[in-house]
Amino acid sequence: MLEATGLVKRFGTTVALGGFDLSVSAGEIAGLIGHNGAGKTTFARVTAGLVAPDSGLVRVAGMDVARYRAEVRALLGLAPQELALYPTATARENLYVFAGLYGLPRREARHRIGPLAEALVLGGVLDRRVRDLSGGQQRRLQAATAMLHRPRLLLLDEPTVGADPVTRDALLAAVRAVAADGAAVVYTTHYLPELDTLQATLAIADHGRVVARGDRAALLATVPDRAAGDRPPTLDDLYRHLVSA
Amino acid sequence: MNPRPGVRLAAEVRHQAILLARDPGPMIGYLVMGLLLITVTRPFYVALDHVNSAGTDQAAAGMAVMFSLFALKIGAGHLLNERTWHTWDRLRSSPAGFGEILAGKSVPLLIAILAQQAVLFLVSAAAFGLRPAAGWPVLAACALAWSACVLLLGAGASTLARTPAQLSAAGDIFALLTTVLGGAIVPVALLPGWLRLVAPASPGYWALAAYRCALAGTPAQLGRPLAMLGVFALAGVGVAALIGAGQHRRLRPGAAARAARASA
Repeated sequence: MLEATGLVKRFGTTVALGGFDLSVSAGEIAGLIGHNGAGKTTFARVTAGLVAPDSGLVRVAGMDVARYRAEVRALLGLAPQELALYPTATARENLYVFAGLYGLPRREARHRIGPLAEALVLGGVLDRRVRDLSGGQQRRLQAATAMLHRPRLLLLDEPTVGADPVTRDALLAAVRAVAADGAAVVYTTHYLPELDTLQATLAIADHGRVVARGDRAALLATVPDRAAGDRPPTLDDLYRHLVSA
Repeated sequence: MNPRPGVRLAAEVRHQAILLARDPGPMIGYLVMGLLLITVTRPFYVALDHVNSAGTDQAAAGMAVMFSLFALKIGAGHLLNERTWHTWDRLRSSPAGFGEILAGKSVPLLIAILAQQAVLFLVSAAAFGLRPAAGWPVLAACALAWSACVLLLGAGASTLARTPAQLSAAGDIFALLTTVLGGAIVPVALLPGWLRLVAPASPGYWALAAYRCALAGTPAQLGRPLAMLGVFALAGVGVAALIGAGQHRRLRPGAAARAARASA
């Protein structure tokens, strides 16, 4: 579903992406982890068509993002790192407008809002203005606006930053459901246990490149014994081993 | 494949109308101020032009021009909000194109500015006997042309401003300059000579000229003012589109590298 090859993006003298490669299949959740500045957000923005790479290629469903911009965007759902909602509109109105922007008719959106709102524990607050919602509710609403039109590629950029356990559990369950429905998911995070819950494959980014990619078990097997001590290696051990190597 | 542009446009129009309705204060304020100023300035304009009895026309048209220019800030502010709320990137990452987004946001704003003009003229008609000699449809056409011009100037302004404070300051200065130069407060004929020379550079000048044609019953002379409003509208949309197109250009691979080579 998603193929990114050789992505390079510089901002002045800063190299945000330095040959970034990542492929994600339909139905797969790819957990993208890395330090701040490793290139995770820039990769999400390039894939969403918000930033052009200096070189390299991103294909979604076989279509070049730069060439088939509108077609690719129709397949995407994006929940950016910062909250990006209309604070003076209600939660329901936010859901309607983002669904409409992806071509989802209002009647269809109305049918989908109920179940999704229940899944994300938003059922009781749909008619409250966003500015009156808690931070966790806003986070869940943001994810809902990215999911309502049933994207084939869902980009979630640190969706659980500052989230409470209720928000985290609801979001992770909803993400699993989206993947089970056949969508490819790129999930960037600093909270490694979430990737265990999601049973995600891993992509570890460092200095604008993916330095390790594969399923969890295979990557954990590469962790030297000394890195984990007496216990089995964890994702934290893997991450520290790779990014400090 | 770019599915359902009608659904997208309807969603954006409906949403923009909701956002406007949630924050009606500024528009109501400009309407009340306009009505108040028509009431208090009309005797002065009538005294100035008692021969032609055009004082009521000057008061109504002048305030309609002045407060629609202040309302321009509302439109520009709504576009700027998209950036401060971080929703602009979400609009850009949707299948809707730049023109589609702009159109969706513009329709409710255009209706609001038109409604503002309509109230000012209708109250002037009811309270002070304003009668457009060329007929109400001609006056309505002038209001539509001017409102569209104001809206597109606002679209351009919103892409130039970076913060709400910048927009507010620049909007106030622009509105006042355009109003004064256009002759909305002091008729152009009474302005100092050097100001009369530069007055046609103000879109307000041409808006007032159009309104005068409709009110005085000389619709045959409407062509030039309407054409000039079209030029100003094109300038506004040109600025907005250039900056929007700039964002789209940056989406093409290698654009940044080419720009760097070009500037080297």
